[in-house]
Amino acid sequence: MDLVAALPAMKLDKLYESTFICEAVLRSLPPMAKRYVLQMLYIDTLITAKSMEEWLLPDGLSKHKVAIDRLLQLRVFLEVTDRKKETSYKINPKFQSNIQKYLVNGGTLPREPMPLSITVRLPTLEDLETYASEQWECFLLQLINSAQAEKLTSFSSSMIKVFQRGLLSARENEAPKLTENGFQFLLMDTNAQLWYIIREYISTAEDRGVDPTDLISFLLELSFHTLGEAYNLNTLTDVQRIAIKDLADLGLVKLQQGRKESWFIPTKLATNLSASLTDSSSSKEGFVVVETNFRMYSYSTSKLYSEILRLFSRIEYQLPNLIVGAITKESLYNAFENGITADQIICFLQQNAHPRVAQKIPTVPENVTDQIRLWETDKNRVEITPSYLYEDFPSKEVFEAACDFSRELGGLLFEDSRTMRLVVRVEIIRGSSLVAVPEQSNIFGWIHKAHRVVLHGLRMHEVATMDEITLMRMEESRRQSGTIQISADCSSQFLLRKPVLHLMQDPHELT
Amino acid sequence: MAGDGERGRPMKKHKASSSSYSKAVHMMEEEDFNDYGNDFDDDSRDGEREIKKRDFTQLELKPDHVNRPLWACADGRIFLETFSPLYKQAYDFLIAIAEPVCRPESMHEYNLTPHSLYAAVSVGLETETIISVLSKLSKTKLPAEIIDFIHGSTANYGKVKLVLKKNRYFVESPFPEVLKRLLKDDVISKARINSEDLHGAETFTISKAVREIQGGHEDLLNGAELAAAAEEKETHSFEIDPAQVENVKQRCLPNALNYPMLEEYDFRNDTVNPDLNIELKPQAQPRPYQEKSLSKMFGNGRARSGIIVLPCGAGKSLVGVSAACRVKKSCLCLATNAVSVDQWAFQFKLWSTIKDEQISRFTSDNKEKFRSLAGVVVTTYNMVAFGGKRSEDSEKIIEEIRNREWGLLLMDEVHVVPAHMFRKVISITKSHCKLGLTATLVREDERITDLNFLIGPKLYEANWLDLVKGGFIANVQCAEVWCPMTKEFFAEYLKKENSKKKQALYVMNPNKFRACEFLIRFHELQRGDKIIVFADNLFALTAYAMKLRKPMIYGATSHNERTRILQAFKNSPDVNTIFLSKVGDNSIDIPEANVIIQISSHAGSRRQEAQRLGRILRAKGRHQDRMAGGKEEYNAFFYSLVSTDTQEMYYSTKRQQFLIDQGYSFKVITSLPPPDSGAELNYHSLEEQIELLSKVLNAGDDMVGLEQLQEDADDIANIKSRRSAGSMSAFSGASGMVYMEYNTGKSKQAGLKSKPKDPSKRHVLFKKRFAP
Repeated sequence: MDLVAALPAMKLDKLYESTFICEAVLRSLPPMAKRYVLQMLYIDTLITAKSMEEWLLPDGLSKHKVAIDRLLQLRVFLEVTDRKKETSYKINPKFQSNIQKYLVNGGTLPREPMPLSITVRLPTLEDLETYASEQWECFLLQLINSAQAEKLTSFSSSMIKVFQRGLLSARENEAPKLTENGFQFLLMDTNAQLWYIIREYISTAEDRGVDPTDLISFLLELSFHTLGEAYNLNTLTDVQRIAIKDLADLGLVKLQQGRKESWFIPTKLATNLSASLTDSSSSKEGFVVVETNFRMYSYSTSKLYSEILRLFSRIEYQLPNLIVGAITKESLYNAFENGITADQIICFLQQNAHPRVAQKIPTVPENVTDQIRLWETDKNRVEITPSYLYEDFPSKEVFEAACDFSRELGGLLFEDSRTMRLVVRVEIIRGSSLVAVPEQSNIFGWIHKAHRVVLHGLRMHEVATMDEITLMRMEESRRQSGTIQISADCSSQFLLRKPVLHLMQDPHELT
Repeated sequence: MAGDGERGRPMKKHKASSSSYSKAVHMMEEEDFNDYGNDFDDDSRDGEREIKKRDFTQLELKPDHVNRPLWACADGRIFLETFSPLYKQAYDFLIAIAEPVCRPESMHEYNLTPHSLYAAVSVGLETETIISVLSKLSKTKLPAEIIDFIHGSTANYGKVKLVLKKNRYFVESPFPEVLKRLLKDDVISKARINSEDLHGAETFTISKAVREIQGGHEDLLNGAELAAAAEEKETHSFEIDPAQVENVKQRCLPNALNYPMLEEYDFRNDTVNPDLNIELKPQAQPRPYQEKSLSKMFGNGRARSGIIVLPCGAGKSLVGVSAACRVKKSCLCLATNAVSVDQWAFQFKLWSTIKDEQISRFTSDNKEKFRSLAGVVVTTYNMVAFGGKRSEDSEKIIEEIRNREWGLLLMDEVHVVPAHMFRKVISITKSHCKLGLTATLVREDERITDLNFLIGPKLYEANWLDLVKGGFIANVQCAEVWCPMTKEFFAEYLKKENSKKKQALYVMNPNKFRACEFLIRFHELQRGDKIIVFADNLFALTAYAMKLRKPMIYGATSHNERTRILQAFKNSPDVNTIFLSKVGDNSIDIPEANVIIQISSHAGSRRQEAQRLGRILRAKGRHQDRMAGGKEEYNAFFYSLVSTDTQEMYYSTKRQQFLIDQGYSFKVITSLPPPDSGAELNYHSLEEQIELLSKVLNAGDDMVGLEQLQEDADDIANIKSRRSAGSMSAFSGASGMVYMEYNTGKSKQAGLKSKPKDPSKRHVLFKKRFAP
C-alpha cells in the first residue's frame, strides 16, 4: 500500500475509479482509519479536525494521528483548510461513491469465470497450491542462487537483476553475496516477499513502457478473483496480458490452454494479495522442530528452506524429507554479521514451528531463544558511533570554544586538551559552522576514560562505546599486539567493523 | 590402552610406609577416581564439525513413511521421532543396537557403532534380526552401507560364549565351524581339555540352549519376526583349562582372532559354590526400567556380564542388590570410596533379607572378617588393587578375597576407574559374572572400549527424560548464572604475571561469591532446601566455606569427619549447606540435597557435570506434596556459576554437553543477586572486594590452583598442612547456628514470596530474564 500511497494524486484518483481498489485500500487501513471511513461514508459535509478529536479517548491520540496521516497519504481523506485556518476533512468523493456502491450492490468483476464446459482438466485446489509454491520457490532460488535452481523461470536475466538489486551485492568478478536486506528478505513470510518483488516489478514498470497505475489496479483486481476458477485471457488488456505471463512465473496464476481458448487460474498467492496487506500471518503448516540441545529438525524437502536454514544454522544431515541442523554460536554470528537479528531468527522458528511442537508454549525452547538473544547482545557490546576528528587547533581558546560548542549540541564524544584533539558525532556537523579537517590516516586508536575508543583508519572516524570490562579487554589486546583487536578468550566474541578489528576465535591464543 | 599406566596414578608411586597406609588409601581414593584429565576435550562433535554435511536425499522414501518412526543414514546415524506410535518399540530396539547421541524431547539421535552392535549381539539379537527390524522401522529403504556395516560388525560378535558350568569353563557356540577355526589357534587348542574324547577332536558337545527370554524385543512389531529369532538352537562346545581362561579370552579379542567371547554364568546349575540364601524384601519393588535392565542381564536364565547405565538417583543399588539376590552366590561389591562402601552395605541390608553375619565391609578403617561360607563383601577398588605392603589384617582378608570364587562381581561407578586398575582387580578376583554400574558412560578415550571387553557390553541404558516423566528421578531446573567480573579482578585476570592465578581470580570473583551467597540464602530461607556447593578449587572452597561459615569436605577430611558432617547435613535442621570439593562428585549418597551450586569445576569435563547433577536426581516425595503443581514443578535446582569474559564461559558450554544431550536445558541467568537487593550480602563494598583481591593475589601460586595439588599427590605433608589450614572452626557444631543469625531484608522476602502464585509455575529466578 505504500506503493499506492506514493503515487501522484492524479493517478491515485484514477485508481479509485475501480471499486476493487477502493475495497482493497479500505482493507489495508489501520483499524482506527477503517472506522473513520465507515463512520463518514454517508456524511457529505466537512468534518473539522477538532470535532473528530472529540471522538477520542485521551489515550487514543497517537493512533488517531497515525490513522489520519494514512488516510491523507492515500487521499482517502482530503484536507480542507478554511479561512480561519481550521482544518477539516472529507472523504475523497470518488472513493466514497465507490464504497457506497459496493455496499449496496456488492462488487462485480470485469470478467466472469469461464463455464466448466469449456475449461477442461482444471487443477484441484491442492494441485494449484503446490504449483504456486513450487513456482514461487523456484523463482526465489533463482533469485538468490541462479546455479541452484532446477528449472528457470522465463524472466529475462535483466528482470532477475532488477529483483536482485538490493538483495544481492553484485561486485565485479565476484560471486554475488546476499546483503542484509537479502537475508531479511528470505526470512520474511511469503506474502511479504511477494509484495517486495511486486513492488520492484511495478517500480520498474515505467522503464518497460507500462503505466504503474494499470499494474497496481490489475493486481488488486486480481486479488478479488475466485481461487481456482478459470478466467478467459481474452478479457485482459494488452498490458495485462503481458503482466499475467510474469505473474504466472511467480506462481500467482496458472495459465492453461484449451482447444480454442486460453485462460488463467488465480492461485492462493494472488487471492491473498490484498488480504495480506493487513494480515501477514500465513496459515501455512510449519515444519521446524527445535530442541533444547539446539538441534533443529526441519520436515522439508525444499532446497529453498535448506538455503534459508543455512543462513543461521549448520546443516548436518539432509534426508529425503528431513533437514537436520544445529544452531551454533558460529552459525549465529555468521547470521548476525549478515545483518539478521535474533528476533528475526526466533520469529522465523516460531512461525514455522512443526504442528507437533506448535501447541507447546513456548514453541521454541526458552533456553534456545534466550541464548540466541544473549549471543546477540554479546555481539553488540561495542556500539559504534560515526564521528569526526579535529586536531591542530590554532590555539587553546579555539579548541575550548569548539569543545563547548559541540558539548552544547550534545555531540561531544572525546576531548583531549593536552593534544587538543576533539571527536564529535557526525550528525552535529551537518548544518553547523564547524568544518571537518582533512581526515587522518592513523591506524591506531586511543582510549578515552569514558569507555570509548576512537578508531582511525576508515574514511570516517568511529568511536566505540563499551562497558569497562570490554574496554579492558581491548586495552589488553592492544598491549599485546599493538593494534586494537577485540579478541575472545571465551564465549564472548564481539565484532567490530572488520577493517579495523580482527578477531581471534581460538580461546588458547590469548594465553 | 598402553597409555593408561602413565595416565592413571599407578599405585607404585605411593611410597607410603605402612603406618601411613590408611591415609594413602584415602588420598588415592580421591585422586584416582577424580582424574578427569583426559576426558574433557575430545568431543565427538568436534570431529563432525569438520566433516561436510551429509546428503542422503537420494534415499528412497517408503510410501507409508509417515507411520514409520526413524531414518537411518549411511554413516550410522539414526534419527528417531519420539511422537511416533511405534516409539516405545523402536526405542527399546535402538537402545539395544545403537549408542544414544542425544535424547531431547521430540527427536532422538543414535549412532550405530561396532561396540553397540556387539552389545546387541550379546543380548541375543542376530544380524538378520537387526537388519530386518531396522528396515521395518525405517522411513526409507536402508542404505546399503548400513546393511554392510551391520553384517561386518556382527559377523564375529557373539558367536562364541564362555560359560562357567559346574566350575568348568566351556567355549560354546551354535556354529561348529567357528569353534573349529578357534581350535586352529595354538593357544586355544592347547587350552582345550578333551574329557570325553572318544569320538576324536572334531566333535563338540551338543546341547539344547535354553530358549531366550526376550521380554524387551518380543513385542516388537507384534513379535512375529523376532520370536523366530529366539528359537531353540543347538549349541556346540568344548571345555578349556581354567588356568588358561585369560589367555583364551585374550586370543579371541578383536586384535587377534576377532571372536570376542561373551561370558555367561549358569548359576542355577552351579553346585560347587555354596548358595547365599538371600531374597529381596517384599517392599523392594524394582521399577519397570530396573526390571528391564535385569531382564537383559538374566535374559536366558544365565547371568551375562555387562554394564548397566542408569542415571544417578535412579536406583542403581537396587539393581545391584537384585542381581545379587538372583545369583544367590557370594558377591564382591566394589565401590570407589569408604563412604560409599558404607552406603552399599546399608543398601544390601535395606533391600534384601541378608543377615548381618553374611555381609562384611573391608576398608582401611573397617576390616570386618568373613563370618559365613557364602556372603557379600563390600570394599573399594583400591583396597583390592593396592600394590604396596598391607597390614596383617588386611593381608588376611585380601587373601580370602583372592581365594574365593565369586558368583557376582558388582562394580560401582565403572566410568571412573582406570582400565589398569580393572585388570588388576579382575586378575585378583575370580568371578563368574561381572556387573558394572554407572550413570555416565561418557569417555571418548579408549577406556570405554576397555570396559567393553573387561567387563562386558552395555546391557541397558535408561533415558533420563523418560525417567523424569515417570517421576522416578527429580525434575531438575538447570541454570547457568553469569557473574560479571568486577573491574579490579578482571584487571588482574588479564595480567600476564597472574597466569597461574587465573582460576582463583575468576572463582573468587566477588560477584560470583555474592551470587552464591544469594542462592544459598534464597534456598535455605525461602524454600527450606538442602544445598551442596561444589568447588574444585581448594582455595576457593576454603575461602567460601569460612566466609559463609558452612561445613566442608575435601580430600583430606577423614572418614569420621565426613560421616559426621554428612550425618549433620541429613539430620540437623541447622546444617543446610555443605561445601564439597570434587571428592563429592561420585558415590557419596546425599539423598537429602536438592540444590547444587557449582562455583568451580574441572575445565570442560562433561562427566563431572553429570555426576554432580546426579547428586540431586533422587526423586523427593516430600517436595511434591509441598508444591501445588505436583510432578510438574521443578523440585531440584542445579546452578553453575560462571564468571563472564573468562575461560570459564568456554568450558561451561563444553561441560553441559552431556546433560544437554540427555534433554536437559540450561537457563541463563544474567543478574544475580537481583539489582534491587544484595546490600546485605558479603563483598558489597569496594573495600571488601579489594581486600579479597589482595588475599587472592598474596596467596602462593600453589595455594590457588587445584592442578598443582594433583601433580604432587605424593606429597602428603603438603596436603596435611592444607588440612590443618582448612577450617576446623567450620566443622564445629556452632557454625549452623551462627548462620541463622543472619537476616534477610524484608523487602526481598516480600518480593520472592509471590512465586508460588505464578501460573507458569516457574522458579522466580528464572522468570527474571534479561529484557528482551
